[in-house]
Amino acid sequence: MADEFMKGFGILVTTSLLWMVTAGWYKTPSFEGDQLLGPAPEEPDIYAQLSLVIGDALLWFGLIAALVFWVVVPMINEFQAYRDERSS
Amino acid sequence: MSDTDTDSETETEDAQTDGGGTGIVPPDDETPTWSERKKRKQGLSRLTYEYFERSRREDQDLRQESDYVERDVLGFPAWPHEMIRNLALTSFFVGMIMFLSATMPPHIGPPANSGSTPAIILPDWYLYWSFGLLKLSFLNPELSLLGGQTLMADRTYGVLANVVIVGFIAIVPFLNKGAARRPVEQPFWAAVGVSGVIFAFTIAVLSVKNIVPIGEGLLQDLTFLLPFVGAFITYGILKSMREGYMFNLNRRYYRLRPPK
Repeated sequence: MADEFMKGFGILVTTSLLWMVTAGWYKTPSFEGDQLLGPAPEEPDIYAQLSLVIGDALLWFGLIAALVFWVVVPMINEFQAYRDERSS
Repeated sequence: MSDTDTDSETETEDAQTDGGGTGIVPPDDETPTWSERKKRKQGLSRLTYEYFERSRREDQDLRQESDYVERDVLGFPAWPHEMIRNLALTSFFVGMIMFLSATMPPHIGPPANSGSTPAIILPDWYLYWSFGLLKLSFLNPELSLLGGQTLMADRTYGVLANVVIVGFIAIVPFLNKGAARRPVEQPFWAAVGVSGVIFAFTIAVLSVKNIVPIGEGLLQDLTFLLPFVGAFITYGILKSMREGYMFNLNRRYYRLRPPK
């Protein structure tokens, strides 16, 4: 179980760190006001487009990985243990 | 001659720390002997044995080489055990600082204007509790003896509240010396500590009451009620955890010197 926790935690930390970098560059219009969650630039150049896509992908990957490793996989394991217990 | 006899003989022979006894750990019924540790064959228990065996061996070699006074304190040498851990942690945080400073965009705003007063004046966040104690004017009683007047000005009352709180915190070490190693050993004092932490938080929230989306009366009530709620919950949980807690085991591990 500790392994599953560490997998989810490692992915979440790594992806959210990289997301913070992309959001710091392209979703932070100024120091005052919204930081990291601000509006994206209106006419993004190719680098901005690429960074925004990569940042979004990383963020969702991290969140879903945490959900999978902390909730879904343990739930499946519990369910299998329960089923084995009943069948034996 | 049985195993136990050889063990007790080698134990009395002195500088050999691998006597088959419990070594420098004070013995009781549950302490594994070195020969019991050695029998472990798999997984974490084997790894534990190897780690302890290696550090025991290093400890024994050091004792034999040195002409220093024999020490009987349970511990691992600073090098390499502690230093490797410290270096790993330090490298992680230095790496984090370098990564962030290299990748995040710079935000150097215009210089602060010392000529204009900002709209909101607040102390640093770690002083909010003290700032909140200055806003206790609703507790300043209007005495009928004085014809509905208060005994002192609200600001004097706030400063006195600071004196009372700081005085209470200063008294606590004299009331309880902190002999307990874990909260479960002294549930009452753990509850007092938890209520203090919660009160520090609620009084800090009270200090910024103008931006908290709760009615002022409710916020004032919660400020003084939540610490008690937290204290009761903590006390109940810790009381129920006392059953099955191994007081003797814990006390034994934290004692550095074995009994004579």
